[in-house]
Amino acid sequence: MSMRTTLAVLALVGLPFAGCGGPKEETPPPGPAATSAAGPAGGAPAGATTGSASISGKISFEGTAPAPEKIKTSADPKCQAMHPQGLERQTIDAGGGGLKDVFVYVKSGLSGTYPAPTEPVLLDQKGCMYQPHIITVQAGQPLKIRNSDDTLHNIHPRPTANPEFNIGQPRQGMESTKTFDKQEIMIPVGCDVHPWMRSYIAVVGHPFFSVSKDDGTYEIKGLPAGDYEIEAWHEKLKTQTQKVTVKDGEKAKADFSYKS
Amino acid sequence: MAGRPGDDRAGSTLRGVPAFDRSRHLFGAVTAATTLVLIFVGGLVTSTGSGLSVPDWPLSYGMLMPPMVGGVFYEHSHRIVASLVGALTLALALWTARAEPRPGVRRLAWAALAAVVAQGVLGGLTVIFLLPTAVSVAHACLAQTFFCLVIALAYATSREWRDARAPDVDQTGLRGAALTATLIVYGQLLVGAVMRHIGAGLAIPDFPLASGRVLPPVATTPVLVHFAHRIGALLVLLAVACFLARARRAGDPRFTRLGAALLGLVGFQIALGAATVLTGKAVTPTTLHVATGAAILGGCWLSTLRAFRLRRPAPAALAVPVARPVTQS
Ligand code: HEM
Ligand code: HEM
Ligand SMILES: [Cu+2]
Repeated sequence: MSMRTTLAVLALVGLPFAGCGGPKEETPPPGPAATSAAGPAGGAPAGATTGSASISGKISFEGTAPAPEKIKTSADPKCQAMHPQGLERQTIDAGGGGLKDVFVYVKSGLSGTYPAPTEPVLLDQKGCMYQPHIITVQAGQPLKIRNSDDTLHNIHPRPTANPEFNIGQPRQGMESTKTFDKQEIMIPVGCDVHPWMRSYIAVVGHPFFSVSKDDGTYEIKGLPAGDYEIEAWHEKLKTQTQKVTVKDGEKAKADFSYKS
Repeated sequence: MAGRPGDDRAGSTLRGVPAFDRSRHLFGAVTAATTLVLIFVGGLVTSTGSGLSVPDWPLSYGMLMPPMVGGVFYEHSHRIVASLVGALTLALALWTARAEPRPGVRRLAWAALAAVVAQGVLGGLTVIFLLPTAVSVAHACLAQTFFCLVIALAYATSREWRDARAPDVDQTGLRGAALTATLIVYGQLLVGAVMRHIGAGLAIPDFPLASGRVLPPVATTPVLVHFAHRIGALLVLLAVACFLARARRAGDPRFTRLGAALLGLVGFQIALGAATVLTGKAVTPTTLHVATGAAILGGCWLSTLRAFRLRRPAPAALAVPVARPVTQS
């Protein structure tokens, strides 16, 4: 066999294993830190049909929350070093007097148009965890994904209505920007390197949503007057809905109560 | 002796019998053994759910050697062992092309090389397209097909192949039994791979019964696929037992030993399958189940190659009375 054939065969075989193309990195030039504010997307852009009503309330939890789950981080020594006392995950977190990390949004009753804000929402990977745990964006709004850790992560959301993607961020400080164009509640997002990294992205077609704080309270602001159905979503305790009617300038209350 | 189709000993005898190329045979055998290890390592990727922990391909996080943490350890180790097998196969193909007088064997070597390249590309496609079921199943099946190709290369260069001058008449139907067993095991692999990649491994949560009954009470796709795999296990058991029985009747240790080993492996495999279900797909039994499945396929395939090499078909008229002696039933 000639040398040339040999080389051609070598190249052909090497291709699938080694290859030559670099990775597709989506690192925009470093800019000012994006907002990580969850909740009514700060200041709806011009053209949005907003109002002066609001809905707020508290999510309570009755029963005993399961003991926090101990997470074994030994598979990545860098993660382990960031949590010398060990890492725990509490999926039902009612320690602050109410249920934390419940996503509340207007499910139906809106008729206006709500162009997506151009300001990105930040999904940070820090200490081998996602921050925040419940990430909220408006459909079409940029989601900035950052790796603040000195280790590698892959970001792999598993949507059903939006296209799935899987990107890697091998180095600290890397950022990528992605958008989801369709409303989808919720998109689980995970890292396949660190299987305990699991969060949820809510993509909403309007800016009327909120995530409950440590004390279980939430607030949806800037609503036009109307009859709404609002839904609360919790990753373990699932959903509950309520009908709420608000007039202009009114502050309506809607509490939710979960039991286990 | 007139050459059978695909048999070019007639040609090589004219040029003199090719010398037994011990090192090339060993090299083929080592490649086959490494492939079995690779199948285990690949199975680990699926069992640990690490298939997407490296999101890019052909590089890994843009590097040749990413930090081996978490799921990256499994996925990237798999890529490394796969590269090794790719390199071994390339070397084997080039070696065969230079040293092998039989065109059929040279073609086989090129086919193995093509298969390993296609397998690498399929592996890359699973990563880029986020594990579509069809690609993952194809990757699982081509892995074992490639394993069979390498086994054939190793066997074709063996001393046994070279020395098989005048095959005996296949009086007990070894050829048919071995071939049937191989096809059934391949079918079982296919069903197993579909089950694994549509996530139906626990669709029937108990064993040996199915949801407490002999026949599963519901008939959704996952349950049917899973149940088909259990029926398949019975067929595999029967086919291998039948092969062993015929080997015994033929009284040839080259077949009885292999047949007995295969029957033992099938028993072990069924136990591993049960363990897979009962442990809720614990990584070790599940991955061993994938690798033992490959070993069974390889063993049945080797039996088939041997049967076709060491036996010639019985003339139809003679086969019936001779194959069923009165004393044997
Ligand atoms: C000689 C080449 C290769 C062989 C024989 C091989 C074999 C295997 C086997 C047996 C499995 C397990 C399938 C199962 O458990 O159902 C597997 C899984 C996998 N392999 Fe390979 N592989 C090869 C090359 C590659 C390459 C080059 C890549 C590159 C990225 C790759 C990526 C994967 C992935 C991502 C999985 C997990 C698939 C899933 O979970 O669905 N493989 N491989
Ligand atoms: C004796 C014959 C058997 C053979 C040759 C065999 C072969 C296989 C193979 C090759 C696979 C993996 C396919 C791949 O690469 O993706 C598989 C998967 C599987 N087998 Fe078997 N198997 C046998 C018997 C059984 C039995 C008796 C059970 C018990 C219920 C069983 C349960 C399973 C399960 C649950 C999986 C999927 C594992 C997962 O979802 O990850 N197998 N089998
Ligand atoms: Cu990670």
